Amino acid sequence: MTATSAPATATVTAPRAGSAGGTRRRLDSLTIGLAIVGLFVSAALLAPVLTPYRAFELAGRPIEPPSVEFPLGTNGVGNDILTQVVLGARSSLLIALLAGLGTLVVGATVGLVSGWRGGALDVVLMRFTDIVLALPRLPLLILMGVYLGPTLVNTALVISLVFWPPSARIVRSQVLSIRGRAHLRASVGFGAGTWFSLKRHVVPEVGLILIASLIASAGRAVMLEAGLAFLGLGDPSRVSWGRILRDALDFQALFFTDAWSWWLVPPIVALSLFLLGLTLVGIGFEQRANPRLSRHSEETGR
Amino acid sequence: MARQPEAAGERAAGAPLGRSSGGRVGHLTGVAALHVVTIFVLVSLVFFLPRALPGDPLNALLDPEVGGTFTAEARAELEAHYQLDRPIGEQYVGYLGRMLTLDFGWSISRQSPVSTLVAARLPWTLLLMGLALSFAGAISWIVGTTSAWRRGSKSDRGLVAAFTLARSVPDFAIATVLLVVFAVLVPVLPVAGNRTVFAQYTSIWQELGDVIAHLILPVSALTIGLLGSKFLLVRNSVIGSLGQEYMMLARAKGLPTRIQKYRHAGRNALLPFLTLLGVQFGFAVGGSIFVEEVFTYPGMGTLILDAVDTRDYPLLEALFLVLAATVLVANFAVDLIYTWLDPGVSAGTPS
Amino acid sequence: MNMLQVEDLSITYRSDPPVYAVDGVSFAVEAGGAMALIGESGSGKSTVARSLLGLVDRADLGGRIVFDGDELQALGPDRWRDYRWGRIGLVFQSTTALNPVLRIGLQLTEPLVEGDGMSAASAEARARAVIDLVGLDADVYDRHPGELSGGRRRLALLAIALVRDPELLVLDEPTAGLDPVTRNDVLALLRRLRAERSLLVLTHDIDALDGLVDHVGVLYRGRLIETGAVDDVLTRPRHPYTWGLLNAHPRLRNVKDLRGIRGRPPDNTEPIIGCGFVERCTQAVDACRTDDVTLQPVAAGTSTNGTGKVRHVACLRGGLVPVVRARGLHKVYTTGPALNRRRVVAVDDVDVEVYHGEVLGIVGANGAAKSTLGQLLLRLIDADGGTVEFDGDDLLSMKGARLKSARRRLQMLFQDPYEALSPRLRVGDCITEPLEVQGIGTATERRAAALDALDAVSLPATPEFLRRHTHELSGGQLQRVALARALVLEPVLLVADEPFEGLDPSEQAKMIQLLKSLQVERGMAMVLVSHDLAVTLRTADRIVVIDEGRIVEEASGPELLSAPQHPATRRLLSAAGAPAISGVASARIELSQP
Repeated sequence: MTATSAPATATVTAPRAGSAGGTRRRLDSLTIGLAIVGLFVSAALLAPVLTPYRAFELAGRPIEPPSVEFPLGTNGVGNDILTQVVLGARSSLLIALLAGLGTLVVGATVGLVSGWRGGALDVVLMRFTDIVLALPRLPLLILMGVYLGPTLVNTALVISLVFWPPSARIVRSQVLSIRGRAHLRASVGFGAGTWFSLKRHVVPEVGLILIASLIASAGRAVMLEAGLAFLGLGDPSRVSWGRILRDALDFQALFFTDAWSWWLVPPIVALSLFLLGLTLVGIGFEQRANPRLSRHSEETGR
Repeated sequence: MARQPEAAGERAAGAPLGRSSGGRVGHLTGVAALHVVTIFVLVSLVFFLPRALPGDPLNALLDPEVGGTFTAEARAELEAHYQLDRPIGEQYVGYLGRMLTLDFGWSISRQSPVSTLVAARLPWTLLLMGLALSFAGAISWIVGTTSAWRRGSKSDRGLVAAFTLARSVPDFAIATVLLVVFAVLVPVLPVAGNRTVFAQYTSIWQELGDVIAHLILPVSALTIGLLGSKFLLVRNSVIGSLGQEYMMLARAKGLPTRIQKYRHAGRNALLPFLTLLGVQFGFAVGGSIFVEEVFTYPGMGTLILDAVDTRDYPLLEALFLVLAATVLVANFAVDLIYTWLDPGVSAGTPS
Repeated sequence: MNMLQVEDLSITYRSDPPVYAVDGVSFAVEAGGAMALIGESGSGKSTVARSLLGLVDRADLGGRIVFDGDELQALGPDRWRDYRWGRIGLVFQSTTALNPVLRIGLQLTEPLVEGDGMSAASAEARARAVIDLVGLDADVYDRHPGELSGGRRRLALLAIALVRDPELLVLDEPTAGLDPVTRNDVLALLRRLRAERSLLVLTHDIDALDGLVDHVGVLYRGRLIETGAVDDVLTRPRHPYTWGLLNAHPRLRNVKDLRGIRGRPPDNTEPIIGCGFVERCTQAVDACRTDDVTLQPVAAGTSTNGTGKVRHVACLRGGLVPVVRARGLHKVYTTGPALNRRRVVAVDDVDVEVYHGEVLGIVGANGAAKSTLGQLLLRLIDADGGTVEFDGDDLLSMKGARLKSARRRLQMLFQDPYEALSPRLRVGDCITEPLEVQGIGTATERRAAALDALDAVSLPATPEFLRRHTHELSGGQLQRVALARALVLEPVLLVADEPFEGLDPSEQAKMIQLLKSLQVERGMAMVLVSHDLAVTLRTADRIVVIDEGRIVEEASGPELLSAPQHPATRRLLSAAGAPAISGVASARIELSQP
């Protein structure tokens, strides 16, 4: 049933008539997304230029309101908040990259092998996927994080180990659908081997889906990392947007002053904007991978 | 936690577990077996994780920061409870036996039976998530269907943009924003706990009102967090339905728009959507950790965090068993319902 | 009084590129009448069906649809609901029109409850009655579509269309995908239903129309190209497309090889200029590419077939035209010594015509003057009486340049290639000879044309082969060279006189297939002169039996086989090994004699 397999990341654009409008709008979602993500990448790279302070440097007095010296003010112990927000982008980008790739590698491998080999191996792998899917992921992440030690790499590792099943399922179903197509059978009929078939037919078809899946995993990882830091379970040596929030909420007098307005708002905006950027990029790729999603089936005269 | 449901939806949206096995009874047996395996894997993970690390598992628990709560007496009691002097296989069997008989032991950090603690917290979380899922489900259903019906219109595009944005904001951020708004800007609602501390209620209605007032913010934060992905899911499935030929037949039959929209387009998206909601309910116990934390709501989420913080091992074991059991019960119920309601859809629908 | 009147309906989907689905279609269904529109997929059938219920979206609509005096196109959404289902019902083609998650019962009752305001109980009673009417089991009411077989789903769609007892029932491919038994049940049911309402059937299943509809229209590329009484159109097609469609239609008792219509199926995204069929037509003239054609009544005095409904054809040439038409042909041979001459009437008052694109078989015993008739048609021998028209002009009176130009279009493949090809000549000279005679092209161009012709007849298209002498070739090769020579002028009519004589069986089979495929591909007409009934039955669209210089019978292959009329035919059949057939078959289709 086609309706049920519609992914949650969805058609932003479903133009009613004509495809010209669709192309333009689709370009928009990808371009805007890339622009937003690009903004954060440059901020993370240019951090030393953008701010003279270090993350936990006592740069000024506690809870100083925004000024020329501290454009976003200082926090409860006198760290510069702009510095923390800019450096927080590094944590988020790093986790996005590490955990996104990790999830993708595990998921794509399981999905590819399962879909391509089929048979008993497919059954076993899919049952295993079902089991992992049924695990309570967030509590498990918290527990494993505590046991393994709260470093960013460990967090990325645990996320990769727990959150791969959706990617595996998507890749598998895509591989299965390609396997069923005649051009692949034809290629096998010409004597093509596994590697040739994979290279020529499967990977190019799955490519865009993989990218969309990577983006989705990256976004989820960013959210999880921020969440863990927000719970106080993040990497203690790193600044993270979640941790800025945590520190703010832990500050007893937060709501007795105006400090919340410069302390809470920047990390929330940064986090949400970055995630929105990733979402838009993901939507852009998904629509490219599956143009059917964005165009309503046109009725032709029969 | 807004992302978790999305991942869960993956499974619901595909098909219930083990649908390939033929026959209704056989199918359900297969599903049950799978759930039992799942719960077994999780419980084993909780057992082996601390033991896989070098050193005494109790040392892993004995973080210097929290070591203060550990007296020599408590340590002895723990060692006896876990039979740490025995071979690991024997420990494992003993552990599984305790889990099977629901003998969870005594919480060190809270000095209370673990079962009492869990029983006191579980209903609040279920209430919180039950309400949030119901609201999010109902709202996304109605708005998503309407938006799909008017696909391409200004209102549709506006809604899609709004929900895409909402989807990008983590629920703890939403909760924090709500906290700021209602703690500072318009302090009309309680922002912490599940009821007013030291309150003396004159009537059950007053008590109920107080509980509801405390529920509003956490439920709102969870609902908003859940809405985004659900709205898009509903909208997409309904749009998928709209292109189907049966929609043209519905129109040809001269049916009013309301019937076309909700009965014909909507009904097709309803079953997978309900399945998704059911599966998400399975993750309810672990799903509200962030929001409970922000609003210091006394539910399972904050209990999990406390247990992790204090390394309260007996409590953790019990919590994970409950987590797994909820997933199992919810999934099994979903599979039952699905098997019951599924009208051989796959046979009747074109690929 | 017409219940449904469609006037100049045009529908263009606003896709990119636009799809010209329906183009200027006009037809009418009388109250209580039944009409069919036939056409292949893409001909616009479904679009027409949907437009009748206002279901065509994202398209530009032109023209008028008048139902019972009301103009439907002008209706607002609210008024539409009165017509949808209550007055016009539509049986969808695809069973995906059933909503998979709703029980059949609900899908049956909802138009009654919502449209007629019926109570749930009486709606259920009505729905159950309709289920019974279409011959479904009562338990279907509580089933989901997925639980029914394909055939039963089709019946359920029919039941849904009938539930509000519409005055006009539109059926979109009612028999598609049904097994023969279910199909017959459905057709029997439809015949019963038509007693109480008007029917509009859209289908490509020509056999389904028998006894179901009165009139039929043929759709091609969204245009109606032929209309008329159903028996008339389907037994005597007048438009080249209809004729081709019927030829492509498999019939159980047909021994003739099926043949498609030459050329590619149409592309709906190209606007039509001139006649839509021109690219595939075998009788197209230059004007067909530029001039608009509309349905015109077929020339007066032709067929009304007793129904009073005049045939209409949208063809500049007025429908199928003969490439050659002979009337009252006479040929007398005088034999014997000078003083004792005997006159032998070889061909005696023969009327025959060969249509564009068809294969006419002339069969008869040896000495029946088959070959003479064939050569008379090409004016290779002079007739002693009668006329031969070539494309409407008198061939027998032609002279000079006009005759030469006509000869170019009329070619003969002689019985004996050894005789027909001079043993002194090389292959190349043989094949280029007609071009030289006609003064076509330079020497180089003729050589190229000769190579092409060799390729077309599956001979090696090499300079070496062109240089070979004809006496070096085998019989089969020689016959192919002769064919290449006949084809090099691109004739519109080829008379092949016993072309397969003297070939061994395998070579003969290949030659038959080659000749037939060249004939279809090039759209030329062919007269196959043969005494071999087995070969002729496989190849010819129409067969004339000639006996003692007279045409004694004319029929299609199956008719000839199942119901031979003349003793000479029966003799031929029994000589060819067919079991003796006695008596006269009852249901003969009238001979095609326009």
